[in-house]
Amino acid sequence: MLKKDTNESTDLTGFSTFFVGDSLFGIDVLTIQEINRNFEVTQVPQSPDYVYGILNLRGKIVTIIDLGKKLGLGPVENNTISRNIIINSQGELLGLMVTDLGDILHADCKMLEPAPSNFNRVKGSCFKGVLKTENQLIGILDMNELLQD
Amino acid sequence: MMTESVAGEMIKPDEGDTVGVASIRVNVGLLDTLMTLAGELVLSRNQLLQGVSTANIRATELSSQRIDLITSELQDAIMRTRMQPMADVFSKFKRIVRDLSGKLGKSIDLDIQGHDVELDKTIQESIGEPLTRLVEHSVCYGIETPEQREQAGKTATGKLTVQAFHDAGQVNVLVSDDGRGLDEKIADDASRTAVMDSVVSTIERLGGMIDIKSTSGKGTDIHIKLPLTLAIIPSQITSVGAERYALPQVNLEELLRIPAGQIQEKIEKVGDAAVVRLRGELLPLLDLAQVLGIEKDYVDPETNQHLSDRRKNIADRRSKQHLTNDEGGVETAPEPSGSLPQRKRKDRRSTRGSAVNIAVVAAGPYKYGLMVDQLHDSEEIVVKPVGRHLKHCTAYAGATIMGDGKVALILDIANLAHLAGLSIVSDALQAVKISEGMRKTDSNREALLTFKQSEKDCFAVPLNLVERIERIKTSSIEQIGNRKVVQYRGGALPLHDLSQVMALNPLVEKENQEIIIFRIKGKELGLMVSPPVDSVEAILDIDESTLSQPGIKGSIIINGHTTLLVNMFDMARIVKPEWFAD
Repeated sequence: MLKKDTNESTDLTGFSTFFVGDSLFGIDVLTIQEINRNFEVTQVPQSPDYVYGILNLRGKIVTIIDLGKKLGLGPVENNTISRNIIINSQGELLGLMVTDLGDILHADCKMLEPAPSNFNRVKGSCFKGVLKTENQLIGILDMNELLQD
Repeated sequence: MMTESVAGEMIKPDEGDTVGVASIRVNVGLLDTLMTLAGELVLSRNQLLQGVSTANIRATELSSQRIDLITSELQDAIMRTRMQPMADVFSKFKRIVRDLSGKLGKSIDLDIQGHDVELDKTIQESIGEPLTRLVEHSVCYGIETPEQREQAGKTATGKLTVQAFHDAGQVNVLVSDDGRGLDEKIADDASRTAVMDSVVSTIERLGGMIDIKSTSGKGTDIHIKLPLTLAIIPSQITSVGAERYALPQVNLEELLRIPAGQIQEKIEKVGDAAVVRLRGELLPLLDLAQVLGIEKDYVDPETNQHLSDRRKNIADRRSKQHLTNDEGGVETAPEPSGSLPQRKRKDRRSTRGSAVNIAVVAAGPYKYGLMVDQLHDSEEIVVKPVGRHLKHCTAYAGATIMGDGKVALILDIANLAHLAGLSIVSDALQAVKISEGMRKTDSNREALLTFKQSEKDCFAVPLNLVERIERIKTSSIEQIGNRKVVQYRGGALPLHDLSQVMALNPLVEKENQEIIIFRIKGKELGLMVSPPVDSVEAILDIDESTLSQPGIKGSIIINGHTTLLVNMFDMARIVKPEWFAD
């Protein structure tokens, strides 16, 4: 899609895109362990507002983050198209609750442009950059920054 | 891309004293077993996938059976990799005893047994230090010098035995000496009691038990019981709203169920705080839902509106409560909290006989009643760590996965008290004192368990002699000759009743039988009684003459009834003379 006709093709990174509300975001596909629809969570009283609950993923306890709340875009609705993206973040598994899945894109990291300070109503520091495609802009999230704690 | 580091330390690491040993020695044979099992697992998975894709039910069944077997074997083998022999701990005792006794001019014969008894590495690491302290203690203060021993008519060489063995799913360690016993020692030096205190606290933190028996002039026996592993802890499962919460058994003192009719009398408000009256003591009461801020919704049956549920309790069906007296409850009993709106009509909640379920818990300086919606079974749970986003939620010690695959949070009893702003008030302190066995402080007051034989008579026994109270099906009682037994926890529990030692009407046979279980001479004995079984606190003003007879210590007045105080040791001596043969 965004592949350039040069020898730089080895530097391409895969980005998995998804919707949170109406906005499109992406993360490095290599951080993703799996994507499922499992939202059978146990609620954790006294946890931060953006924690949807905790989940048993084959014997491991996974914290599910409502990405909508975390990004300040309002809660993600748990319905038939919502998905749980399990990522590996700083040595533990986290689940990202998103509204819907998008495509997987391949792009050169050099093509990322710095995010405007208020891209998609989200703080600029949450992004690694913005990826331009033919008809849309995708905010590539910096998971380390966003999910500090 | 699998992450390994989440499966780190099983239980909240204690401050600093568990030195992180990153590697472990594993028997090569065990490793081979693991490899074989992993290979088998892959094969069975392939068969299962094949069976499913070809919709071959027979093949699917077979492979699921195999996976079932392999899984159990795999779990067992993996648990075994964590097991380490006691030899690592015991190996240094020989030198310690030799060096110390040489320095002190004592002659000591050290006998160590059970080198190859294995226990979980985390426990093995933590037990080394306290055990060393105990051995040093015995050498320094327990066993006398050869001269003193000969004067006391003992052999010049003292004997110190350290023994490890498995019993009842626990690791037992026995440290015994034939020295002068503990009694004299306590007067000697405060630092020694400090040693003992630190040992006791370490053992208790590991979820173990320590029992010290000492005969002046004869010696000291210290019996330590340890769980095999820390990763699996026995817990009481409770629930509030839709979620379950596990409460570690080490923190659990007893379970209370207060019938609706007694709520007003047993639960009181002191300032803002609720307290529960338990055997004359006032215990602070925390509502788990309130402390954690759990919103409980319920749908109003008439208006279909979602209302915030301000109820403090829910009817309970499965509690293994301490008291077996049944609902004397009336439905219209007012709720404990004054903030509740007065009910104008019966709603579905009040018609269920709103009893309050309380788990009496203790941790460190805190002892309090924790109010939950329901008390479920006691289960062995596997402790799992929770993620970094929940590190500020101090109310939990981790999480566990229940049988149905859902996650339940494990409560941290000390932090919960802290969170609720529970101060160690005098009431709580008093309660703590009781829990530590200093029951004698309050003149002659003692906690008693009252029960009946027939309608008219009242009996009582000291509560601290009681192991448990059970209700069994009368049909499960087996009669062998003139003896009665019931199969209980994998053994036969002998059953007796008071009519065997005194002239009383025999028990009326009903569908269920209440049994009070005592431990006498290290063995369990069940006393069949009639309900209500209740606990009271009474001043022990015993009249030892009027109604004295074998098995009865005397009579006291409880709640206006003349109550006979049963002497269980006397009773056991009559019904089980063989236990007292020595």
